[in-house]
Amino acid sequence: MISLDTFVDVATGGLVLGAIYALMAAGLAAVWTTLGIFNFAHGAFIALGAYIGWQISDAEAAGMGLAAGVVVATTALFFVGVLFHIALVRPFERRADIVTASVITTLAGAAICESVINLIWGPRSKQLGQLASGDVNFGLFQLPSNDVVLILVVGATLAALGWFLGRTRTGRAMRAVSQNREAAELMGLDVPRLYAIAFGLSAAMAGLAGIFIGGIRFMTPTMGTDPLMKALIVVILGGIARFVSPIYAAILVGFVESFCNFYVGLYWTPAVLFLMMIVVLFLKPSGLFGHHQRTL
Amino acid sequence: MTAPLLELRGLCGGYDPIQIFRDVDLVVGQGESIGLFGPNGHGKTTLMKTISGVLEPWSGDVIFEGQRMNRAAARGSRRFRNFNYDAVARRRMDPKEVARAGLIHVAQGNLLFPEMTVAEVLSVAPIAAANRQGRDKAMRFDVMALFPRLAERRNHKIRYLSGGERQMVSIAAGLLAEPKLLILDEPTLGLSPKLRIELCQSITRIKDMGVPLIVIDQDVAFLSALIDRLMLFDHGHVARTLDRSEIPDHDTLMSMLFGAALK
Repeated sequence: MISLDTFVDVATGGLVLGAIYALMAAGLAAVWTTLGIFNFAHGAFIALGAYIGWQISDAEAAGMGLAAGVVVATTALFFVGVLFHIALVRPFERRADIVTASVITTLAGAAICESVINLIWGPRSKQLGQLASGDVNFGLFQLPSNDVVLILVVGATLAALGWFLGRTRTGRAMRAVSQNREAAELMGLDVPRLYAIAFGLSAAMAGLAGIFIGGIRFMTPTMGTDPLMKALIVVILGGIARFVSPIYAAILVGFVESFCNFYVGLYWTPAVLFLMMIVVLFLKPSGLFGHHQRTL
Repeated sequence: MTAPLLELRGLCGGYDPIQIFRDVDLVVGQGESIGLFGPNGHGKTTLMKTISGVLEPWSGDVIFEGQRMNRAAARGSRRFRNFNYDAVARRRMDPKEVARAGLIHVAQGNLLFPEMTVAEVLSVAPIAAANRQGRDKAMRFDVMALFPRLAERRNHKIRYLSGGERQMVSIAAGLLAEPKLLILDEPTLGLSPKLRIELCQSITRIKDMGVPLIVIDQDVAFLSALIDRLMLFDHGHVARTLDRSEIPDHDTLMSMLFGAALK
């Protein structure tokens, strides 16, 4: 029998992973649903966010603290995302083969981005500081403050995204474009601009996820590859019917990964996750939490 | 002399490589409403989509309030046909610009945004007008008074509305864009007779509020009561233009289009 402490540790680990995957998957889904393309540079955005965060926050570099790092990295990544859209995706607008064309261009963008990181910061792995130190006491058990803060920040970010999409005019316009591009154009909505904003927001969320990952694992220029794969599993598992569907799936994947690592073994986790994905694709191809076509 | 509201000069277009309509010349004067009548599949909708910029015109000009909506230079050298000029995002016509200029197209069978509520759609709709220079602030529409049904439905998603209600949302959204010219493409298509009558009355009220219309419809009686001129559209071009007083009944009109043999 396992102790409560161990169980709580494993569950918290799962929730932290789930929160990070949710952040990534929501960003990935934002581009997927709006533009209808898959952004392979999403993993590179994670790495870039982590490295910019390190450059601002770490004592060896600018040393301005992690909060400043988060602000600068997410802002910078927003503009990187907009730039990627203008340079790599917009030129293929209205072409029938935009999906395949954008696979190549975003993959190329990812490779360039990772090489640039390698060029600037070098291949030696780095690590980011913690968001908070110490423990939070919940009576029966204690949790690391870092984990608690991380989960709260992710929750707040996703809530803010939900508010943006549901309540603001730009957010609603973005949903409109994702649901019916032609009708949105006829309404006079600026489709390319909304696409660029979607790309920028997606990249900013990836950057934030990168900073969180950089505090848990070592940072390398290719650190985004594994989380990107997990986020892809999350998006397929959850479906993208509504913007909350990948969030549920992310928490599920986080728990499965955490418990599987502990009880079954680290090397079995990817196999278990892919098995889950294949089973879901067989039984419910639209995802566990989705029943209609792609929309935001 | 003021420029006409809308002028089409030798407009040709279609779905590459199939040409759908050719050499369409049309002048809609200030404050004038026109109707478009003709058999299905002869290019009425394609023509409207080209006017609003959803499709590229092949040649000819679309001039709205004296301002050319399509960019200069015709189709370019045929040598480069396989090169996609649009890819460089240099569209010859931008639906956003057309809508913001005040030419609003309510598309045929518009499904709008299935996962958004009526209230959300109507909150996005004024964007086209909000970006317009020198807009007429007096031109505000109380769409909820025009379509009381939408007030009851405001928190329902579009996907759960009936076809008639969707059409009402489309038209209401078009009005909120404060149109200088409103294109209605078969607004009563597929509606129940009762709802049809209701919608026809609403459209008449929209015209009475001073919004010029281009209406495509199959009901000659409705059109002749509503519009100033009727264009008979056949095989991709305007076969005849009739003044309001010249519009005959449906059967005569059909024989004008197809010849007496059909009668």
